[in-house]
Amino acid sequence: MKFQIEDVTVYFPYDHIYPEQYAYMVELKRALDAKGHCLLEMPTGTGKTIALLSLITSYTLSKPSNPIKLLYCTRTVHEMEKTLAELKLLHKYQIQHLGPAARILALGLSSRKNLCINPSVVSAENRDSVDAACRKLTASWVRALAIENPNIPSCEFFENYEKAASDAVLPPGVYTLQDLRVFGKEKGWCPYFLARHMVQFANVVVYSYQYLLDPKVAGIISKEMQRESVVVFDEAHNIDNVCIEALSVSVRKQTLEGATRNLSKMSQEIERFKATDAGRLRAEYNRLVDGLAQRGNLPLADTWLANPALPDDILKEAVPGNIRRAEHFLSVLRRLVQYLKGRLQTENVEKEGPVTFVASINAQVGIDQKMLKFCYDRLHSLMLTLEITDTDEFLHIQTICDFATLVGTYTRGFSIIIEPFDERMPHIPDPVLQLSCHDASLAIKPVFERFQSVVITSGTLSPIDLYPRLLNFNPVVSRSFTMSLTRDCICPMVLTRGSDQLPVSTKFDLRSDPGVERNYGRLLLEMVSVVPDGIVCFFVSYSYMDGIVNSWHESGILKDIMQHKLVFIETQDVVETTLALDNYRKACDCGRGAVFFSVARGKVAEGIDFDRHYGRLVIMFGVPFQYTLSRILLARLEYLRETFQIKEGDFLTFDALRQAAQCVGRVIRSKADYGMMIFADKRYSRHDKRSKLPGWILSHLRDAHLNLSTDMAVHIAREFLRKMAQPYDKTGGSGKKTLLSQEDLEKMGNGNFSDMLF
Amino acid sequence: MTDGQVIKPTAIAVSGEAGRAGSERSAAPLQDEQLSHAEMERRIRLLQEDSELQKLHKQLVIGGVLSEAEFWATRKVSYWLFFFQYKLLDENASRKSKQQVGLRNDMFHVKPSSDGQSNKVTFNLTPEIIHQIFAEKPAVRQAFLNFVPSKMTEKEFWTKYSRAEYLHSTKNVVVAAAEAAEDDELAVFLKQDDMAASEARRKIRRVDPTLDMEADEGDDYTHLPDHGLSCDGSKDVTDSPYELYRRSLLQELNRHAAVVLEGRAIDVELGDTRSVAEALARSKQDDLTDEVSDGNINQERLDRISRMAEIDDLQAPRDLAVAPLCIKDPRDYFDSQQANAIKSLGDTLAGAKQMKCSLSTAEAYGSLRDYISEIKTSGLNDSIVKPEVALKVLNGLTQSISSTKYHLGKNPHESVLDRLPYVAKQELLHHWMSIQELLKHFWSSYPITTTHLFTKVSRLKDAMSQIYPKLQEIKESVQSDFRHQVSLLVQPMLQALDAAFAHYDADIQKRSAKSGERPNGFV
Repeated sequence: MKFQIEDVTVYFPYDHIYPEQYAYMVELKRALDAKGHCLLEMPTGTGKTIALLSLITSYTLSKPSNPIKLLYCTRTVHEMEKTLAELKLLHKYQIQHLGPAARILALGLSSRKNLCINPSVVSAENRDSVDAACRKLTASWVRALAIENPNIPSCEFFENYEKAASDAVLPPGVYTLQDLRVFGKEKGWCPYFLARHMVQFANVVVYSYQYLLDPKVAGIISKEMQRESVVVFDEAHNIDNVCIEALSVSVRKQTLEGATRNLSKMSQEIERFKATDAGRLRAEYNRLVDGLAQRGNLPLADTWLANPALPDDILKEAVPGNIRRAEHFLSVLRRLVQYLKGRLQTENVEKEGPVTFVASINAQVGIDQKMLKFCYDRLHSLMLTLEITDTDEFLHIQTICDFATLVGTYTRGFSIIIEPFDERMPHIPDPVLQLSCHDASLAIKPVFERFQSVVITSGTLSPIDLYPRLLNFNPVVSRSFTMSLTRDCICPMVLTRGSDQLPVSTKFDLRSDPGVERNYGRLLLEMVSVVPDGIVCFFVSYSYMDGIVNSWHESGILKDIMQHKLVFIETQDVVETTLALDNYRKACDCGRGAVFFSVARGKVAEGIDFDRHYGRLVIMFGVPFQYTLSRILLARLEYLRETFQIKEGDFLTFDALRQAAQCVGRVIRSKADYGMMIFADKRYSRHDKRSKLPGWILSHLRDAHLNLSTDMAVHIAREFLRKMAQPYDKTGGSGKKTLLSQEDLEKMGNGNFSDMLF
Repeated sequence: MTDGQVIKPTAIAVSGEAGRAGSERSAAPLQDEQLSHAEMERRIRLLQEDSELQKLHKQLVIGGVLSEAEFWATRKVSYWLFFFQYKLLDENASRKSKQQVGLRNDMFHVKPSSDGQSNKVTFNLTPEIIHQIFAEKPAVRQAFLNFVPSKMTEKEFWTKYSRAEYLHSTKNVVVAAAEAAEDDELAVFLKQDDMAASEARRKIRRVDPTLDMEADEGDDYTHLPDHGLSCDGSKDVTDSPYELYRRSLLQELNRHAAVVLEGRAIDVELGDTRSVAEALARSKQDDLTDEVSDGNINQERLDRISRMAEIDDLQAPRDLAVAPLCIKDPRDYFDSQQANAIKSLGDTLAGAKQMKCSLSTAEAYGSLRDYISEIKTSGLNDSIVKPEVALKVLNGLTQSISSTKYHLGKNPHESVLDRLPYVAKQELLHHWMSIQELLKHFWSSYPITTTHLFTKVSRLKDAMSQIYPKLQEIKESVQSDFRHQVSLLVQPMLQALDAAFAHYDADIQKRSAKSGERPNGFV
C-alpha cells in the first residue's frame, strides 16, 4: 500500500498496516525532519523493522535532492539476515511501483569469516585465524613477493578484485551475506573487500553494533560515512552493555605469558631485519617522527583493527621519542608486562582508578601516560614493518597494548580491578586484572556527534527516561507505544507456587531446594502435555540450568517430559546450539513438538525469535539478576549512583526485568500470532519487580493471574489455547481498528489520527 | 454370486458421465468376470493391507451375503483414495508405502541393576537400543566396525562399552581418565566423540542463516580473547587434562533429540548388529555426497527465509501446501483421542468431585433435611438449583460413570475395550464392523426399486438376524464384572439393528397393503 505522511509518500509492502506502525512512522518522520535523535519503544510483534525500513527508504525517495544513508545496526549476524530479508521484500515492492527510480544498493557487512569464499582460508577455525590466513595471502608485501616468485601462494579472488579496479562494483540491489558470496563466486572477486569498498556508496548498510560502537572496528569501517546518515540501533535494550564491553579489557596470566612469547619472537625478527634490511626499520622511524597519520594510506588489505580508544581522543601528534625505535618500544612493553605480572600476584582484591594506576606504572617502571596511550598504534606500525602476517599468533600482545592505550587515554569512567581468584571458586587461583568501563556514553558519544539522526529502538526500553541518562544524549522524540490487540493473544501469568503450594523461586536460599526443582519440573511436565508445538524455557544462568536438568534427569521428570516432546538445549558450544535450534524448528515444523532450554542473557535469548508455532509458551524460571557479587558490577553500580543518582537496587531490578521481558517477548510476531508467558518465581508478584515490565505485557497481566499455582496455570493455559483456536475478525471489527487498509488511512487523514488511536 | 450383471442405476450414471477415468472405474462393478488383471491385483493388495477389510470380505462375500461387486461398490471412495496414494508412492519407491515407526524418545541410560549381593552390574541391550547408540554415537559405530569381529567378539565389545558407560555414570572423571590410559579400546568410548563433532561442523553450513549463531561468533569484536567483561558461566577450565573425558548430559540430550527427529534413516531389520552399523555408516556417507548438490537446498532455504520475513496478517492469506492426512490405524487413533477427551472432562470435573468427597453422610443428610424443611415452610418459589446447572452435573456424572473414567486417567490409550479379554474385544469390534457394513448396504438399498435390491435386502436381513444370538453369546461369555460394560457397548449395536428391522417390517407391510396380490418387487 501507499500512503502519505505529511510530505512523504510511504511505500509499504503489505495491503494492511497496524495503527501502531503508522504512529511509529509518524514519530520517526518527525525526528528525521528535526535532524535529531530519537528513542522509540514498540512492543515486539508489531513489525518494527519493516516500518522503520519503509519509512526511511521512502523518505529518501521523496527527497532525492538530499539523500540520506541508512546505517542499520543489529546485534547479531542472523538478525542482519532477517533485516535484509525484509528489506528485499520492501525493495521488490518499491521497484514494482516506482520502477527503476526506486533502485537502491543495500548490503550486509561482516567479517572475513562470514564473507570469504577462498576455500583454503575460510576453513580456518575462528575469526582471527581466518583474518590471519587472509593476510598471509593478501598483505601488500606478500603480493609483491608473489609477483616475483610464483611459488608463493596468493588469493585469486583478491587478485581479480584488484585487477578489476574501479570496474569492481556491485549493481544495485539488496545483498545478504549469502548473496555477496554468490556474487563474488560468480565474478571471481573477493566479496569481503568488495563489500568493504561498496559500503561507502550503498544507500543502506546493515551491520553489527560493533562496527559503529567499538572504536577498534569503527575506526576502519565506519570512518568515511557521511554525516547525512540515519543510524538505527535495533533491539537496543542492551546497548549500554555493548558500549561498556567495547571499552573493557581483561588480562590474565595466560595473556601475559603469551605476550612474553610474542615479544621475544618480535625481538628475533628485529634482529633478523637489522642484519638483512636495516633500511626498513629506519624508514619506520622517520615515519613515526611525522606522526601516525599515514595509516590512512595503507593498502586496503593491510588494515588491521584500529585504535581501541576513540578517534577524537587520539591526539594528532608525533609518537613520543622514547618508543620510536623498535628495540626501545619492545623494552617498554617488556617492562609493562613485568609490571602487570607483579600486580597479578596480589593476594587481595584491589580496585583503583586509571589515574592512580598510571601513576604507579610511571613510578615503578618509568612508563608515562603518553607512552601508554600510543602503545596500540606503535605496535600496529611495528608489526607492519616486521611484515607479520600471522596476526592471530600475536593476540596476546595486542590485548596488552589495548589495555595500555585505554588506560592511558581515559581518566574517568573506568576502574581497574584485580582479583586473585573467582569468588565462587576460592580454592582455585585464577588471577585476573580487569579494566572495566562503567560509562556507556563514552563509546556511543562519537556516534551521536557524527551522525545527524540516531534512532534507538526496541521492544523493551522501559523505563524510557533511563536510557538518555545512561547514554547521555537528548532525544527530540521519545515515545513508548502500546499495542492494540485484536484479541487477547498474549497471556502473561505469574506463577508463585507449585501444586503443593510451596513457593518457587531462584532466590539464593531457595534455589537448590529440591522442592523448588521438583515444582519447576512438574510445571514443565504439565505444560508439555497441554501446549502444542514449541515451548521455550529460560533459566537464570548456565550453571543453574545444568544443575536443574541433571536433577530432573535423575528424578525421571525429564523422561516424562520426553514422552511428550523432544528436548533441545542451549550449550556453551555455539555450533551445537545452532544445530539444536535448527532441529528444534524442524521438530516444530513437522508437528513433533519440542522444548528448548535456554539461558537469559545467553546468545539465544539475545536474538532468536520463537514466534508462531515455534513458541506457544515461554517459561521464565526465576528472575535473571546479574551475579551481584561480581566486583565489576559493584563498581559499575557505584559509578551509576555517584554520577546519575541511580540506586543499586533499582538498576539491578531494571536490568533483570528487561532481560526477562526480552526473553518472553520473543514469542509473538504479529497480531495473528498468540503465546503464553509464565514468570515462574514468587518475586514477580511483588509490585516493585513487576512494575518494571514493559507496559504492553503489564496491560495484559490480569490481577487474577498474579499469584498462581501450577494446577491453576495449567487450567488457564487450556482455556487460553481453546480460545485462541477460534476464528476471529482480523480487523478488530467494531470499536478500535487494529488493522488499517489504505482507505482507512486516507479517510483518517493526518490530523485526527492520533485521537483515534490512543 | 452371479448378480454382477444387474446394475445399480447410480453406477450407470457415473460410467455415463465420467470420461476416460470414469469408464475404467465403472468397469469393475460392471462385470466381475471381465475384471482386468490389474484391478484384481489392486483389490488383493488392498485386502492384504487392511486385515479388517479382509475379514469382512471373507464373512460377507465368501459367506454369500453380498456379491463381490456390491462389496466394492460402497467403498469406492476410500478404495480410490487408497490407490491414489498408493500410486503416488508407487512411482517413487514402491516399498516405501509402509508406514515407518519412528524412534522412541527415550534416552538410553544405563541404570545399572545390581543384585545387591555381589558387585556385579547388569546391563540390558536390545537391538533397538543398539541402533540408537549407533545413531547417536558415530564413534562407537566406527569402533564396532573396526573391532568386531577381528579384535573382539560382539559380546566383549558391548561389555567394554557398558563399562565405559558405567564409568561415566559415576561422574568420576579422574578414574575414567586413568582407565582410558590403560586400555586403548576403552578410551574410544570414554573420549569425546570427534566424529559427531565433525559431523556437526559440516551440518552447520546448511543451517538457516537467520539462526546461525556461529556466524555471530565470527563478527564479534568485543569477544576477542580477554576483551569485554566476563559474564556468568563463561569460566572455562579447558586446560584440565581430564576435559577430554568430561561429557555433559546437555550435549547428549541434544544429540539424542536430533537422532529421534531424523527418524529411522535405514531400512534394515534390527537384530544383526553389524549390518545396522554398516547401513548407518552408509547413510551418513550418502549425506556427504548429497552436499555437493546443495544448490537446491540453498534456493529452498532462501524461499523459506523470505516467507518467514513476511508478516502474515498484513496481507492476504497464502495457500499452504496440504499434506494429506493418512491414518493407518483409525481405530487406534480415534480411541486414544476419545480417551483424551474423557480424561480432560474428568479434569474439569475434578473440583466438583472433591467437594462431594468431603461431605460426610451425616452432613449430607442434615443439609437435605434442612432444605426439605425450608421448602415445607416457604414452598417452591424458585428452584434451589438452576435447571441448567443440574442438567450439566447430571450429564457429567452419568458420562463419567458410564465411561468408567475412575479407572482411566493414567494412560490416555486405555479404554474400556482394553480391559476386556482380548478375544471378546476382537469379536465385539468385528461384529461392530460387520454390522456397520451390513447396515450401510441395507439402508442404501432403499427405496427398493428392483428385484435385485429386494433379494439383497432379504439376504442382508438374514445375515443381520444371525448377529443377535452372537452378541448375546459374547455377553454371556464375559466375566460378570465386565458384563455391564459389554451390554453398554452392545446396546447401540442392537438399537441400530432394531431400527433396521423395524424399517424392514414397516416397508413389507406397506408393500403388502398396497398390492397384496402382486409378486414381490416391481420395476
